[in-house]
Amino acid sequence: MKTLLPSAVLLALMSTGMAGAQTPGLPPQAPAAGPPRNIEVSATQTSALYVALGEKAGIAALVNDFVDHVREDPLIGVMFQHIKPAHLKGQLGDKICVAVGGPCVYDGETMKGAHTDLKIDRVRFNAMVEVLQASMRRQNIAFSTQNQLLAMLAPMHRDIITVR
Amino acid sequence: MTQTLFRLFRLSLLTLAACGLCASVAQAETGKLLLTGGVSSIDGAAGGGLTPWAVIGSNATEGQVGGTAALTRVSTQDYGLTVASAALGWHDRVELSLARQDFGASPAYQLNGIAPFGVAPDAHIKLDIIGLKVRVAGEAVLDSDRWMPQIAVGLEHKRVRPGSIGSVLDFLGSKREGTDLYVSATKLLLGQGLLLNATLRSTKANQNGLLGFGSGTPGKNGRSLQPEFSAACLLSSQFAVGAEYRFKPNKLEALGAAAGLGPALREDDWKDIFVAWAPTKHFSLTLAYVDLGRIVPGITASRRQTGGYLSAQVTF
Repeated sequence: MKTLLPSAVLLALMSTGMAGAQTPGLPPQAPAAGPPRNIEVSATQTSALYVALGEKAGIAALVNDFVDHVREDPLIGVMFQHIKPAHLKGQLGDKICVAVGGPCVYDGETMKGAHTDLKIDRVRFNAMVEVLQASMRRQNIAFSTQNQLLAMLAPMHRDIITVR
Repeated sequence: MTQTLFRLFRLSLLTLAACGLCASVAQAETGKLLLTGGVSSIDGAAGGGLTPWAVIGSNATEGQVGGTAALTRVSTQDYGLTVASAALGWHDRVELSLARQDFGASPAYQLNGIAPFGVAPDAHIKLDIIGLKVRVAGEAVLDSDRWMPQIAVGLEHKRVRPGSIGSVLDFLGSKREGTDLYVSATKLLLGQGLLLNATLRSTKANQNGLLGFGSGTPGKNGRSLQPEFSAACLLSSQFAVGAEYRFKPNKLEALGAAAGLGPALREDDWKDIFVAWAPTKHFSLTLAYVDLGRIVPGITASRRQTGGYLSAQVTF
């Protein structure tokens, strides 16, 4: 699942916005708006699900396993080839951490923004979920915990699947 | 007509399997998550063992076509039922199913003692069912932040071939054909690993169709609404346990009583508890303990028909 633009591109977009549109002779204007900055912070600090996943280290291990395997997936691996794995792992880890009520900040793109042009259908979305399920099994995450995580992430299908 | 359709259907399924779902049809290899297509019910539709759910059968998800084939055996104190069924799932939207039931009704021979029905020893009742189901709203699995279930409407057109028990059906005034209509709502509470289903069925069938449709008794020939409930707990990626309860009409008891037979023709609700095992996406086994209540208790000393249910399904 490609979730985020590479950080270099994101930085470039933000810089353009910050440069402003100052015309000589006119009062200084507020900087022109760049792409909407999406910052998500979890409402609660430590939730049971965050703890069950092994907190930051556990989530990092899961995300590490997931990204490594999804890049090799015969059906959807191609979608991940041009993203730096380390960057994706970092952002995904933050995203999941926030989703399960951990003490993190996610400052990447929205799910909708990140997936608009990828033409993801239900088949590919389900394939991604299966890779995640396999990663959770390899990380020995309890089945009930797996389902709780899936329950947190599943509604994102509405933003990620664009081909119906 | 049913025979021809059944043969055509079976042929097309075999062809699909043989060419491994050719290039023109998207492969249902990934498709649905394990166990979210239900199992084959005894009427052929995807759902629990006894009742249809709002899920569309097979592994096929949106944009795909898939199929299932199943063999089921139920055995109780006095009766046995064998079912061969198959279903086709199209784009996770439409499901077409066929089921052929063979009901061993050897106790029916005793009916000859009441009247010269001419029932043969070891009589069998055959029941053919064509099913059509359409998902109309909702998403059972992924909308975990909403209460809205997945909803489907369906029909099961049934034709009974009672063999030598035909004269008994004539005496009952019940017809040989009938169509059940139903609406189902299914929801997987993903966080809890709990699947819930409620089905509302409009039917004229007696004992699901085995004793024909409708009856000769005035006021007992109409459709009735029967609710059906299932709950399943996902224990692991391969195992689920659950239970079902199917309310049933009881249209023939009055007729039997009027004929001086007392409650001989009483019909009870059906229920079961089951365990489903799916070691791969392509095979599942369901084992259940069923309680089919009384089935023509007049010839079975009012015994409740309880026993085992075993079903094997291949999915692609």
